[in-house]
Amino acid sequence: MISENGKRFLEPGRHLMMGNEAMSEGAISAGLTYFGGYPITPSTEVIEHLARRLPEIGGVCMQMEDELASINSVIGASLVGAKAMTATSGPGLSLMVETISMAANLEIPFVFCDVQRNGPGTGFVTEPHHNDLGLVRFSGNGEFQVIALAPMTCQELFDLTITAFNFAEIYRCPVFILSDAYLGHLHEIVIIPSKEEILERVVNRELPAPEDYVKKFTYFDDISGEIVIPKPPQMGTDYCPGLFIHQPHNYEGLPTPKPMQFIKSIMDKVNKNKDKICLTDKYKLEDAEFVIIAYGLPVRASYRAVDIARNEGIKVGIFRLITVWPFPDEKVKDVVKDAKAIIVPELNYTGVIAEQVERVTKLETPVIKIPQVCEFHHPDDILKVIREVAK
Amino acid sequence: MSDIGRMLKNEQPEHPYVPFSYAGSMFNNFATRFCSGCGYGIIAQLFTRIFEDEHLDPKLFPTVIGIGCYSQMLLLVHYKSQKILALHGRAPAVATGMKMANPRMKPIIFSGDGDSLGIGGNHFIHLCRRNLDCIMLIFNNSIYAMTGGQGAPTTLFGAQSTTTPYKMFENRSDGVELALAAGATYVARTTVAHPRTYMKYFRRALAHKGTSVIEIITPCITYFGRKNLDSLGAEYTGVKGEKMDQGFKMIDWIKRNTVRINQAKFMSEEELFNKYIIGEFRYEPNKPEYSEEYAKIQKIAMGDK
Repeated sequence: MISENGKRFLEPGRHLMMGNEAMSEGAISAGLTYFGGYPITPSTEVIEHLARRLPEIGGVCMQMEDELASINSVIGASLVGAKAMTATSGPGLSLMVETISMAANLEIPFVFCDVQRNGPGTGFVTEPHHNDLGLVRFSGNGEFQVIALAPMTCQELFDLTITAFNFAEIYRCPVFILSDAYLGHLHEIVIIPSKEEILERVVNRELPAPEDYVKKFTYFDDISGEIVIPKPPQMGTDYCPGLFIHQPHNYEGLPTPKPMQFIKSIMDKVNKNKDKICLTDKYKLEDAEFVIIAYGLPVRASYRAVDIARNEGIKVGIFRLITVWPFPDEKVKDVVKDAKAIIVPELNYTGVIAEQVERVTKLETPVIKIPQVCEFHHPDDILKVIREVAK
Repeated sequence: MSDIGRMLKNEQPEHPYVPFSYAGSMFNNFATRFCSGCGYGIIAQLFTRIFEDEHLDPKLFPTVIGIGCYSQMLLLVHYKSQKILALHGRAPAVATGMKMANPRMKPIIFSGDGDSLGIGGNHFIHLCRRNLDCIMLIFNNSIYAMTGGQGAPTTLFGAQSTTTPYKMFENRSDGVELALAAGATYVARTTVAHPRTYMKYFRRALAHKGTSVIEIITPCITYFGRKNLDSLGAEYTGVKGEKMDQGFKMIDWIKRNTVRINQAKFMSEEELFNKYIIGEFRYEPNKPEYSEEYAKIQKIAMGDK
């Protein structure tokens, strides 16, 4: 239970905050009451901050014995009605995927902050590297759909964490926040909105009307055929299935001999709502001949590069993915239909999003990757590529 | 019991000992899914009986079930109890989250020997260390039965299994010793051959505030009994026994192979080799409990001591 002592919300106004702290504060504003974590660089500040802050508001911050226990305690807390999250980095995520897959099956809402670091293996622990997206979107065995958000400033870490909690409540799937080692340790001004403004934005954990108690899991409506996502069931109330069993189940939670129907329901609840989930941003795209598609920190370098290039008369714009996964196919198609070339600066070597862009454009438009590992893109790096393609 | 499955939904009696009401719709001819001679039926029945007799509130006593043969028990235990099937070995962690997010609850954890002493050993240790208010039942059949009879951390020395086809030569891990060392405040061991003791211990665990660990020795005829002789645990007496391929033989063996804790004090290590010591090992009702201690921390943090 969140205490009403007024400590949940920070004083409205400007605060100098570290990225990890801004993320934690965003979570508390969204109604976080349970955090289970295990310290791992570069996400340690999250558990440190919450260990101090959560007891103040009547919440619980548990330092568990390992990552496996952290994520399992998070789903345990979420099952009894707490808004729960965990934070970790790449190696921790690899340990947690087992439970993420189970939570996806049981449609247990939770938020997962992945402060990405270099890999594979231990890697350089304090260097940023956007190499977890591949693991995030296929996290765990089995087929299910996740949502991944990629903030690029501390302000967005605050705001998007609230959005992430809302997505978790509404769509009942694992929601990831893809921060990274630089962003997590970046100190920036965060403008905290007023209590009323925050409360307006937050989707609370509520029980449905008693007549809706029968249907507890996502199902396709018999008449309209539309997908319906009921509110998350809570143990300790009457709105709870007799058993939570992670087998293909129907809307009552009972095992069903129709696994196809079940997989369809947990995939489609995200896929069919892409228009609401896929947040994007456009910058100088109206007449752009060259489109930069990026997410996270590389976007910030791209703004500068685009401004310089525009002064030189090169028509270039940025299409920013705020929601990285599910990939906004239609929106990207629409943006790149007149483009001569697409530039994808990514903080990794493979180009996970570049591959998706290539898939969407069916290789008709050239896609130029700008890989970078453990380091920021300098605007000049991007500018060089823009000038080359504009020749 | 097999008739219950055929009943229609509206015909089902409001009786605590019947299986979960939808079982009939799932399996056309639903009976217990356990092998004949298995001890899990006894455990599930006794659990249901206690749940009903003690008038436990299903909303406050959620059941967290690990992975093993006993996972099927979720179809048999009290139909009103709220159950979650956790992942293999992770049940203590799930229970921790539940208890901390809603301190009024007292989770009951079902786990097996492979579940709590093998894959989930770490979670088990830390659950006991925290002294979190919950009940952990460890069903020890000394074999990985669901996957087909592989050697477990609890398999007796000299026993045969599919992964130890010649003989088991590893040291046995002891759930009770582990719980005692880790700091659980109520630790007991009993067997399915002693159902009244099991009920007594379970009732005491329900009243106890803190981590209660009860290990229950249970027979597995199909994968343990059929392959092993009933001279196991009696090597030093020179008995050359027969295969334990029927329920009563294995229950007999369990009875012969257990030693009461007050008897065990006077027995040598050789005499206790491969034996199970049963009884209450620790009962410390006054140790601080984790969620209560955390509530104190919350009060300090809120500033209204």
